[in-house]
Amino acid sequence: MLSKSKLKIFFCLLTLAVTNTAFAQEELKIGGIGPLSGGGTAWGTALQRGMQMAIDEVNASGGLKVGGKTYTPKLVMFDDQYTAAGGRVAADRLVNSEKVNFIVGPIGSPSVLSVVPVTTQGNVVLLSNGFSPAILKNEAKSPYNFRTMNSTVEFGPAMIKWYRQNYPEAKKVALIAPNDAVGQSVVPQLEAYYIANGFEVWKELYDRGSKEFTPLITRMIAQKVDLFDLNSNAPGEAALLLKQARQSGYKGKIWQVGGPSVEEIIDIAGPLAEGFISLNVFDFDAPVAQKFIKTYRQKFGDGVINAQTPGWYNATQILFESIRRAGTIDTLKVRDTLQKMDGYDAGLFGPVSWGGMGDYGVDHQLLLRFWIVEVKGGKVVTKAALHPDKH
Amino acid sequence: MFTTDILSQVVINGLSLSAIYILVALGFTLLFGIMKVVNFSHGAFAMLGGYALFISYGSYKLPYIIALFGSAFTVALISLIFEFLVFKWFYQKMFQSMIGLMGLNMAIVYASVMIWDISERSIPSPDQSILTFGELSIPMDRLWIMSVTLVVLGLFWYFVTYSRQGLAMRAASQDLEIAAAQGINPNRIYKLAFFIAIFMTALAGGLYAQTYALSPFMGERPLMVAFIVVILGGMGSIPGAALGGLILGLGESFLSTFYGGAVSSFVSFGSVVILLILRPWGLLGKPE
Repeated sequence: MLSKSKLKIFFCLLTLAVTNTAFAQEELKIGGIGPLSGGGTAWGTALQRGMQMAIDEVNASGGLKVGGKTYTPKLVMFDDQYTAAGGRVAADRLVNSEKVNFIVGPIGSPSVLSVVPVTTQGNVVLLSNGFSPAILKNEAKSPYNFRTMNSTVEFGPAMIKWYRQNYPEAKKVALIAPNDAVGQSVVPQLEAYYIANGFEVWKELYDRGSKEFTPLITRMIAQKVDLFDLNSNAPGEAALLLKQARQSGYKGKIWQVGGPSVEEIIDIAGPLAEGFISLNVFDFDAPVAQKFIKTYRQKFGDGVINAQTPGWYNATQILFESIRRAGTIDTLKVRDTLQKMDGYDAGLFGPVSWGGMGDYGVDHQLLLRFWIVEVKGGKVVTKAALHPDKH
Repeated sequence: MFTTDILSQVVINGLSLSAIYILVALGFTLLFGIMKVVNFSHGAFAMLGGYALFISYGSYKLPYIIALFGSAFTVALISLIFEFLVFKWFYQKMFQSMIGLMGLNMAIVYASVMIWDISERSIPSPDQSILTFGELSIPMDRLWIMSVTLVVLGLFWYFVTYSRQGLAMRAASQDLEIAAAQGINPNRIYKLAFFIAIFMTALAGGLYAQTYALSPFMGERPLMVAFIVVILGGMGSIPGAALGGLILGLGESFLSTFYGGAVSSFVSFGSVVILLILRPWGLLGKPE
């Protein structure tokens, strides 16, 4: 048993230790924006979990050492409901109330495009995702915003070039897409890439919300196309397009330069998904992925790991390394260091490579390795690993 | 492009689409025909039919026919609670019913979000094979829908034409007071009509979810389709719903195939507007 005086000394020492730690380890708020309700919840959860894994890893190793200080990063997450309005409110709260210097997310062009003006004005470093070129290509020349996931501009040319090399007999491709901002921006991009690779292109747009595509597919079959690209279609629509194409007697190849929606397509189309080729943003079978999967399972259980999770983990790790190298949390210096991170490997996607000067006028696009997969015997099999060309 | 093969496929696609449209519209037109209720919660009951089929056939693996009709029966039975709590206050009140039932629709949809979450699910098909005749393809799951639609239409026509209850239903729809004077109990007839309407809606919802996808928000499209078909055929008319569904399905198939989706939507909705101007009571409806 401890005597009263010994107990007092023990508590004094404990208080001193806690106080000292508090002085040494200052909290560093890292903002997160993503959809945590509505149709994009799976993506928002992936962002939140990927970021949390990177933060926990840094804190488990004693915190983020910056110059002479050690910080304890803390995630401050806001739900943008996958909307422009939600993104704007989240950015305002993070920048003006929470006073964060660094934000990871959001996902989806409408939300990102509404966040960028707030973060640019506040000199806040933003690492986001969204397919619109305007995210990087804007009047402000994106001084503080970086895109840390590939868009059609990055994976489209490499995928179509790969297809041309592996299936040289293909002549005519069909693109059926929703008649909204997504379809209208992605289809012309893909059309140009296909034409550059010697394809003839047939395209058709449909009203977002449609579920019945058999008449359009009959029209497509009459055009004698030998490749059907599900392009920017959301997982549900992509799966129905594939299922109804096979049910209508379409015999050519089906693939998706977009998505990825492979699991959903197998679920909805069943055996009709056989032979479907798609983009995948992460290879969970790779040896480097196994430690990540184990940590994820320990933290979040046995559910499906959304393929975006490793991408957000990767983005957060790159941010931390750039803060370490900058030796300060001053956003201008961190931004400058972030631009020079080429060669740093966070462990899952290989060395960092920034690009985008040719397409967006600024080298703020992270060029991530991606994979081409095929459904064989109901399972997803990796066919090739590709890397976007640096423009 | 106007080859025999393509034209035959267009007709098959059109018939298959018509079958879905007719099935979806039957319950909607019945509720209006008898009780003058514009059921804006139609899509929610179709969605409940989808989840019931998902549970009975997808999860519990009951034999398909039992699961299909049993699910619709169960949804119709449980829905009698809604009839008691909500619907009966809106009988013969067309405009109030629109707003009230829109609210009910939201309540059911978001209750489903809380129970089943927002993710899309798929219901396995009883038969994924495809019949082929030369260049012509007919998926077996679409043949199922066409068969179920024919059987339901036939049984419903027989019930309304030859059974005492069916006769009472028709009498109540024509003149409620005279029907009551003849000894018909309107409340009983209303409950019966409500039960049959929800049964057909849930049946359609199950097949719709199986053909496309299941989610709490899946009912929006069936509601829109039912509304167009019923306006085209005539509000409250069962043969009108059959004719409206057939015209819309075949028209959409033909126009989308030969002229594209935009032309198809333009002509379909444009025709409904013109019809509403020239013949507001629809093709087989009765002028007020």
